[in-house]
Parts: sequence; C-alpha cells; structure tokens
Amino acid sequence: MTQLYMLDIPENTPIVDVADQDPHVTVDKVGPYFRIAADTPIVIDRRATGCRHAVWYSSVAGLVQSRITQWDKDAMRIEPT
Amino acid sequence: MSQLAHTVRGVDHVAFPTFDLAGTVAFYRDVLGFPVVHSICAAGWGPEKHPDFIHFFFDIGNNDRLAFFYYFGYEPPQRGVKGDVYARFDDDIPDFFVKSRHLAIHVDSEADLTEYRRRLDHSQWPVELQVQHETIESIYTHDPNGYFVEITRALRPVTPQEDHDANLTVDALVDVVKGPDVSMAALLTRKAELIVERAADWEPAQR
Repeated sequence: MTQLYMLDIPENTPIVDVADQDPHVTVDKVGPYFRIAADTPIVIDRRATGCRHAVWYSSVAGLVQSRITQWDKDAMRIEPT
Repeated sequence: MSQLAHTVRGVDHVAFPTFDLAGTVAFYRDVLGFPVVHSICAAGWGPEKHPDFIHFFFDIGNNDRLAFFYYFGYEPPQRGVKGDVYARFDDDIPDFFVKSRHLAIHVDSEADLTEYRRRLDHSQWPVELQVQHETIESIYTHDPNGYFVEITRALRPVTPQEDHDANLTVDALVDVVKGPDVSMAALLTRKAELIVERAADWEPAQR
C-alpha cells in the first residue's frame, strides 16, 4: 500500500485532483488532510497540476510505509517501503 | 498546544551594527521612506573599552522599529568574502546558508509591494529577486550593510489547517531530531502518525 497525506489548502487541491485521476488511487479525508492511497506506486505529473515550484516542493505532509523516489520538476513518485 | 497566555505584541525593535552610516540612512529613510523615529547619542562607558555610539531607529510600520548602531572609530576585522558586516563567511560556505538570516517586512497589498519595488529599482539597491512562494510574494535586496532584506505580502490569509499543520510539523521534527534518522523521510513518516492521532481533535476545534 502506498499512502501519503496532503493538507487541504487551495494550493494543494490541483495536486490531489491529478492524483485522483489514476483509477488505482483513492482519496479521503483525515482531519484537515487528504489521504491519498493506492495498491500501486503513485505518480503525479507536476505540469498537469499547474503548481508553482514552491507549492509543489512543500505539498507532502506525511508518508505511511511509503517513500518518495522521485520529486522533481516533472513528477512525484511515491512507492511502498 | 501551549496554554500560556500570549501577551507579546510583535517586534519592538531589532538592532544591527552599521559601518556605512550614509548608505544606511539613504536606503531606509530616503529610498524606502521609513521615518527616523528615535535616536540615542551615547558616550562610551562601562568596564569594556566601549566606543562612543549613535543608536538610531527607523519606523517599519505597526509601531515596530529597525535600529542600528554606529560606533565612532571602530572598524570590524575584515575576514571572509561572503555575508554582511556582522557575519562574514569564507567562499566555500554555500549561499543558501549565508542568505538564510534575513529581515522580512510586511506590506498589505500587491500595490504596496509594487511601490516598494519601484522605489528600490530607482535606487542603488534594486530588487534582486521577486518570487511567489507557497502563499506569499516577496521582493529581496541587500541593504548597504549586506543585510538581506525582504518585503513581502500574503497572497491569501493563513488558514486554521495551516496552523494545525505547523504544530504537527514542529512536534514531529522535535521527535525526529532526537532519533537516529534525521531526514525528511523520517519527518514525513512521524508526521503521518501525528495526522492520524490528532485527526479527532481537528473537527471539534473547527466548530
């Protein structure tokens, strides 16, 4: 299981929406956070999100038994540990 | 969360030494338009061989003040090639660290930020960088003393969930720096635990 949290603020919403387009991904809420989970690695295309770099590189709030294996201007890839 | 009464009211003043008196007055008073609001002319006294000095203050809004010390007849030892007149560093020290200490002054609007940019760009100290961070937009320059100065506006108000998140980050970081793996990965893993633990606290707090 791949699982990460993002804070529910307007700047992060496009990132969560892009992640949610993957049919393997489920999104729900835990407190003020989005919980983004999948049985597969989660890959988010930065350009599809339209995020500025400052937002992109500070968007992840938490990781559950997962690690970030790519986090650059192109994409974020999170895989199970 | 701290239960201590929170009664402080912002920055009274922050003080820096200057060895370029004319440049400092030109930058803060004549270019930026910060009024001079207070000064002390003091003879050196006390057990240490203290030089005579002038301590003077600029109003930076909100009744907060930016103060400088000018010492007669004192020049700091010259060392290092980077940094400001108070803290000098050798060339091998990375810029992210040298520029980490800075003063950020708040403005309320995009129009105000644009006006301060205009004032700086017409001076000897033009804006070096304008950037939109996560939720703020800032301009930066170095003052005549080499101090890194930022003027910033909020792109939107800070939300309650961001304050909640900030507390989780700091608590997680306090835990992580005590452990064997001090890393972003460890921080995000610890934070995920706190997100779950404190989720139940969140909804009632919002009612």
